[in-house]
Amino acid sequence: MSGFLPASTLGAPELLALFVHFLSLSVFATGGAMALASDMHRYVVDDHHYISHVQFVNSIALAQAAPGPNILFVTVMGWQIGGLPGALATTLGLSLPALVFPMLLSRASRMAQFDRLIRALKRGLGPLALGLMAATCYLLVRQAPGGWMGPALIAATVVLLFTTPLPPVALIAGAGAIGALLPW
Amino acid sequence: MAHLTDEQRRLGPQSPWELFTAYTAVTLQAFGGALSHIERMVVQKKGWLTSQEFLGLYGLSQVLPGPTGIGFAVLMGDRYFGLRGAVAALAGFLLVPAVGVLALAALFQHWQHVPQVQGALHGMGAAAVGLIIHTAWRLSRNLHGDHVAIAVAALAFLAVGVLRVPVSLVMLTLGVGSVAWAWHVVGRGR
Repeated sequence: MSGFLPASTLGAPELLALFVHFLSLSVFATGGAMALASDMHRYVVDDHHYISHVQFVNSIALAQAAPGPNILFVTVMGWQIGGLPGALATTLGLSLPALVFPMLLSRASRMAQFDRLIRALKRGLGPLALGLMAATCYLLVRQAPGGWMGPALIAATVVLLFTTPLPPVALIAGAGAIGALLPW
Repeated sequence: MAHLTDEQRRLGPQSPWELFTAYTAVTLQAFGGALSHIERMVVQKKGWLTSQEFLGLYGLSQVLPGPTGIGFAVLMGDRYFGLRGAVAALAGFLLVPAVGVLALAALFQHWQHVPQVQGALHGMGAAAVGLIIHTAWRLSRNLHGDHVAIAVAALAFLAVGVLRVPVSLVMLTLGVGSVAWAWHVVGRGR
């Protein structure tokens, strides 16, 4: 059973820093979790070498294959970095700031121009979320594994999403089956 | 906690526990994006919110910092039961699926030395990237040829994707500028 539960290799200071980094991402960033993936990659793969690029992509793949929100890739990522404490550090870091929203909102909604603020936030942050997602796509395509095989499977998925009503989980399962047969 | 009418209270969830279980149930059915499932549960099945109320709350969670799904769960729970409700909905959204995905990860990790298992993960990863590209592509249609919005998106991509600038720094500069510009445009009624 060795390797089933990774031992926490991180000390308390590293865990705290990991938690604070995800906390700051959650406070600053906009859009879905995938918009934040590029920055997370910089921190956990490039700067700190906690996990490899392959492990990073595995986290995303597993979270999309399993039922539940895709943001759970941060849970898998944290778990690969430092076991259960690591998973808690990344997941709580990303979700705890949200608990102060209702307080902020009830204050802001008393503002004279609350509707204008919401519309300005939506309009101003939308393009940023898109640019951040494009950054995540660029990172993942550039480092796709297996020579031509990775990019070919990525392209096939995009084409199928646009041309067929196949649900995402079917495409992931299909690509997993094909991937098991390919000589990577 | 929001100010609700008696009617809204009567239609809404009756306890934080009901929020937790409903969220757990819906999130476990959701593969690849939970939003449409949550809309169906909250509006159509449970009748907690009208379509308009759902869109309003969802729009707010989009502009709040952090992942949209988390923001929506928190706002939804707070609406009825304050902090207790927010924690209940958030836990329902994340807790059980997190255990599930970690079990799946442990399973794959246990068999990772088998070449076919690593190959399957490579394939699943490629499909996951395809899903993200598809979402970004659909989002790009919202730009409607707006030159400033296109420039902001391109700058954000360049800064984070190519130059590897931290997201927090980009948000404090480009993000603040973009919202300030949007505030100005919205004020002129466009």
